[in-house]
Amino acid sequence: MIHDLAPQLFNGLVLGAFYAIVAIGLSLIMNLTGTINMAHGSFMTLAGYLAYSLVLRGTSFWFALIAAPLIVVVVGIVVERALVRPLYKREPFYSLLMTFGLSLIAEEVYRLIWGPNGVPFSPPPALNGTVALGFMNFPTFRIFIAVALIIAILALAFFLTRTRFGLRLRAAVQDTEMIAALGTNTQVLYAVNFGLGIFLAGIAGVLAAGMLGLSPTSGNALLMPAFVTVIIGGMGSLFGSIVGGLLIGMAISLTTLFIPAASEVSMYILMAVVLLVRPRGLFGEEGIFG
Amino acid sequence: MTARSELIVSAVVVAVLACAPFLSPLVHLDISIVSEVLVTALAVMSANLLLGYTGLPAFGNAAYFGLGAYGAALSVKYFNVDFVVAVLVGMLAALVGGLILGPFLLRRRGIYFGLLSIAFGQVFYFIAYRYTDVTGGEDGMNFPRPPIGIIHVVLREASFYYLVLAVFVVCLIAFRTVVRSPFGRTLVAIRQNETRVRYLGLNTDRFIFVALLISATMAGLGGALFGLLINFAYPLELDWHQSGYFVLMMILGGAGTVWGSLVGAFIYVIGKDIISTITPLWQIFLGALFVACVLGFPRGIVGSIQALRRGGAQTFADDDVNAAFDANAPVEIGRGV
Repeated sequence: MIHDLAPQLFNGLVLGAFYAIVAIGLSLIMNLTGTINMAHGSFMTLAGYLAYSLVLRGTSFWFALIAAPLIVVVVGIVVERALVRPLYKREPFYSLLMTFGLSLIAEEVYRLIWGPNGVPFSPPPALNGTVALGFMNFPTFRIFIAVALIIAILALAFFLTRTRFGLRLRAAVQDTEMIAALGTNTQVLYAVNFGLGIFLAGIAGVLAAGMLGLSPTSGNALLMPAFVTVIIGGMGSLFGSIVGGLLIGMAISLTTLFIPAASEVSMYILMAVVLLVRPRGLFGEEGIFG
Repeated sequence: MTARSELIVSAVVVAVLACAPFLSPLVHLDISIVSEVLVTALAVMSANLLLGYTGLPAFGNAAYFGLGAYGAALSVKYFNVDFVVAVLVGMLAALVGGLILGPFLLRRRGIYFGLLSIAFGQVFYFIAYRYTDVTGGEDGMNFPRPPIGIIHVVLREASFYYLVLAVFVVCLIAFRTVVRSPFGRTLVAIRQNETRVRYLGLNTDRFIFVALLISATMAGLGGALFGLLINFAYPLELDWHQSGYFVLMMILGGAGTVWGSLVGAFIYVIGKDIISTITPLWQIFLGALFVACVLGFPRGIVGSIQALRRGGAQTFADDDVNAAFDANAPVEIGRGV
């Protein structure tokens, strides 16, 4: 069993990185506008399917990895403008319900287009082997995923803390009215912020399709762990989402190894414990990113 | 609504419901579908108490509904209890669920409360899904409908319907009494401004906890009756999707209104029954209904009728909790997080 431990821990970290990046996207959107995006998983699935269709038509995996999320961002911004924006001034649960409805529609549409069962989506040959790490072998694709997700998170952190636009975004989270009064177009801010969250979901969606499979409901399977990640890490904390995601990834993979019956429930137990000790989550502050 | 017109409307609705076993064959509806409407309405009422009146996004009520169904199912299957005991076990299971989750849920308000409800509710889903030996796992579990103890009769569909109707009417009266009591008024006040209620010296956590327990027990009652109606319990009853459907029905009928839950449940259950026999794309209709309701019809049917009767005036009058659900009612973004 101890031989299984190291790969399982690594798997847990990769899984945790997925949860973290989905949670960061959710948290971005939730923090600025109070929108709980239940359709986040649907955007991930869409990115996966688009990448699948692109590769099927002969484009390279690398092109699909960037192009599919970008297309999904366009879809996301259209959805934001047309459907989510009218709800910003209303109570948050309305946007939750609305996006829930969108996810139901999306699921059925994917079923119509790409079939009710999963489709095979494999990484390119270059990433298909394993890497010898000395004490164990680990699939190259999973290492690639970990690296790609880390780069995405670092890029986001850079964007939020070092660019003017990112600073405005964080300022808007603290006081939207003030930033509007100072001359920033907050509607653009909302749209870009939503697009950013969807872009992260898109990247995660394509990568997850290669590792965890692709079916009409595959993205939604990552949604619940991402919610728990947001709660554990603390809403509005980038760092919290990373730590929360990794914690959950480890908890799930370790319980899968030692107490399989508890593997799904483990993250909820973790969440309950964190809530008892720190009701705002591990790194929860009131709405400040970075 | 004046007391007299309310009495008339109520009497008419109950009279129509009492005739349902004779009316439903005329429109080719099985009477068990009407029973399903009523038990679903109980669960919608439970969500309404929390979200419609207290303002807490109740996205976990399917957990209590499912606990009720599984409570009844397991007690019948493994202990051969009679009908009444099965219902009571279901309600108790849901109440215990509320007692366990309450202290966690009470820690936050606003969307966070919604997130916590969704997340903790899933625990019960996974328990039912995982413990295949006891619960039948994903396939669910069959169980026979038990006889009612004293009279030793197994209810058939029409008599089952009348039992459900009687339970529903009692619950509706109880619900109306609760939301119009000082306790219910306090819940509405919490919805409007919890900080102020706290400054008035009231322990709002305690009020919310009691509301949560009432809500859980009521959802459990609905779930237990639902289980006994279809003689089946399955994990998706506990899933957060089901919670979302309850909230949709609440909005559709009219959040913060006494009759809205019945209207919403009626349209949803009957609509689902009809549409899913015509087309396999029921889920697209359902999703579109979500989007349309939220964007264009947030006050719901009963709420809109009430507003019309008042000449369209948007007031927070004494009996109009629903006005808060008007699209023009302003809310500060991120409130209560």
